[in-house]
Amino acid sequence: MRWVVLILAAAGVAAAGWVVWDRVRGPTATPIADFSAPFVFGRFAVPPDNAMTQEAFTLGRHLFYDPILSGNNEVSCATCHVQELAFTDGLAKSPTLSGGELDFSSMSLANLLWGQERFFWDGRATSLEEQALMPIQHPEEMGQDIDALMEELRVSGSYRKMFRQAYGSVTPENTAKALATFMRLLISSNSKYDQYLRGEVRLTAQEEHGRKLFMAHPDTKVSLRGGNCIDCHSQFLTSGFRDALDGFSNNGLDSDETMPDGLMAVTGNPAHKGFFKVPTLRNIAVTAPYMHDGRFDTLEDVMDHYNDGIVVSDTLSPLILEADNAPEAGQGTVGLRMTPDEIQAIIAFLDTLTDEAFLTNPQFSNPIEGGS
Amino acid sequence: MKFNHISRGVLIGAGLALTGLSPALSQEREESQGMVLLRGLPTLDTKHSIAIVELDPESDQFGEILSEVEQPDIEHPLHHLYYSPNGRLYATGLDPSCSLAEVGLARDAGGAPVISGFTCLDTQGQMVGEDIMWANSNGQEYMFVTFMGGTGGDDGGSVGVFDPQTNEVVKVIEARKSQVSEGAPFIMYPHGISAFEDRMVVTSTVHPDLATGVGNMLTIIDLNDLEPIENILVEKEKPLNFPSSPVEVLFARPGMHPDIEPAILANTMFGFETWKVPYDASSKTFGEAEVIYSGVANETAVPLEFYGTEDELFISHALPGVVKRYELAALPELVSSGPDIVADPGAHHMIFYTSASGRDLIAVQNNLLNLGNGADDDPTDVDFIADLASHTISVHDLETGERLATIDFKERYNKGVDNLEGLFGSGFVHHH
Repeated sequence: MRWVVLILAAAGVAAAGWVVWDRVRGPTATPIADFSAPFVFGRFAVPPDNAMTQEAFTLGRHLFYDPILSGNNEVSCATCHVQELAFTDGLAKSPTLSGGELDFSSMSLANLLWGQERFFWDGRATSLEEQALMPIQHPEEMGQDIDALMEELRVSGSYRKMFRQAYGSVTPENTAKALATFMRLLISSNSKYDQYLRGEVRLTAQEEHGRKLFMAHPDTKVSLRGGNCIDCHSQFLTSGFRDALDGFSNNGLDSDETMPDGLMAVTGNPAHKGFFKVPTLRNIAVTAPYMHDGRFDTLEDVMDHYNDGIVVSDTLSPLILEADNAPEAGQGTVGLRMTPDEIQAIIAFLDTLTDEAFLTNPQFSNPIEGGS
Repeated sequence: MKFNHISRGVLIGAGLALTGLSPALSQEREESQGMVLLRGLPTLDTKHSIAIVELDPESDQFGEILSEVEQPDIEHPLHHLYYSPNGRLYATGLDPSCSLAEVGLARDAGGAPVISGFTCLDTQGQMVGEDIMWANSNGQEYMFVTFMGGTGGDDGGSVGVFDPQTNEVVKVIEARKSQVSEGAPFIMYPHGISAFEDRMVVTSTVHPDLATGVGNMLTIIDLNDLEPIENILVEKEKPLNFPSSPVEVLFARPGMHPDIEPAILANTMFGFETWKVPYDASSKTFGEAEVIYSGVANETAVPLEFYGTEDELFISHALPGVVKRYELAALPELVSSGPDIVADPGAHHMIFYTSASGRDLIAVQNNLLNLGNGADDDPTDVDFIADLASHTISVHDLETGERLATIDFKERYNKGVDNLEGLFGSGFVHHH
């Protein structure tokens, strides 16, 4: 009996010691298991003070799906960023807490690891970490006081533990870092087009036709027909551009009189008026409606815009202004003037950018509702 | 043309993500990184390998191997690297067990490019892979590979036609001199390859054992039916008393520059000459072959590669180890565009890129091919023509030709360097 007591006592001391040690030890930095990314996506860089670790990803994933981040505890990041919609919400403009709608459409989240030094449609954030806290504190998005959120998170034993393991303490900075890490690791690399690039599948004749049109700037002098897409969407497999202001463009949606400020609201430069972020085209088939304000319901509507609906303005992209497959048509409009078959071919190619594995990846799903 | 618009888009698209780097990321620029095929040297106890090397003299990491995968189980090394139009990386190989391979590239958790391995492909018995190009036949794109050993024999040699998606052999173009009728076109020891419209040209270089036979012909292949249709003799002076051994070939064409009249240019390895064969596209006929550059007269030997930028053509001469430069628009004539770039003996493959400060550079790989010495089993002792294996990559200012730096692979890594390709392609527009 005495030995049993001694053993139990020793076990108790050991357990207590482990608990104390677990609480006082520094964060754990477990590398992301089996990380590998496609070479052709290009170089990426992670902030030196926010390394990608399994612990940071786990914390960020919980935070992303937890409505505790909002003032009314009803809105999470995932409310407007739904996985099966490539982390958009299917709405033209996301709803506000007061019952209205925001100025912009919810942006898709995929391959944010690559490129980008400016986030949001108008580029108002310069890092994912900066971006992550802005919707939380926006009075019409999540309406949360950041100090109050920290108090709520510190009350939670599970969050205290996850923060401790990932970063050490519960702070706004670490909250932002965790959310940024989760978003950085939303990697989509298994669409039909990815598989095609790896030599695993073939494109159909229509998809291949669309691919060639997508990649070509029209040049009637050499009878080259083109959809002119690549001129702006050169980083269509990822999310954007390394250069801070590259990847923003005026794509002919509005006249000078009605045009919103866009990037100019951030830079103050009139040359940037009406500039909005050129988004990734990955999973574009499931992210309707389209454009920064969700004005187009379908990809056909989008193609109609580029084909015959370009609105000329002072800051219109010259690459769009001069891209015309039939300039002799002289219809008094600006557009690509492609045939219906060519438009359908481009849409067929865009459909190959849908990554079903990404849209259903259990690692990106809601962990609070039992995701793996 | 090695890279068409789409292919360059795929490769350079990755590179474009690197433009406008913030200062913090400037150490991670990849435009100046090169892919090299390194040859293990038995007497120095090293293995063949594929590696990524920093080639910017302005970088603290100049000359460092950043990623490397060894080939411990292959006796002879991989030979030439080529990017496909879709950005897939291939290597031809000298070992019969791996005459063609696809090389895997990926990125690690830090974003750095890494060589993830290589997969040897089924060539249906075709051996000693040399050059690769992607070209269309009846509107369908294929990967064409020259196999200098073909399926074996004294007069072997083939052009393998592969499905560019699946890497499966679609056809083996083969026409042995010993098996075709008298005067009928044949393919023997093919190495160089180029094409214009529906005509492809391959060279007849040398039997892989370097003893059984040496070629002196070009072979024209009709891309409509993938059959050889004509041989063209390119042999005049014989300074070594060998057949001329045409090696690399370039079908100069208006697509390279609108002023260019179509013609085949061919370098003869043992004749030391550059030949021109005019082509009339309307009648699909070739004119009389003529020498437009004599190595004997100009005191150069073993002309090898053609590389074209937007406005210049570069030709490497293994001896004395120089790269000559010509006006692209003047092709098929060779009109000098500047003084020679003085590299090292064995001057061979090259890439074009920029330094961190934006300086235009050319890197030249200086090894003909380490042919070895059977007597002492030491491939570092070349007793072939002369010392053609410097084991170096020399880096030069592209405008002036001034040598800025040199990497001696034998001294630094105990290996030879057999091939050079840019991580994002070689920065040239015209090769094949």
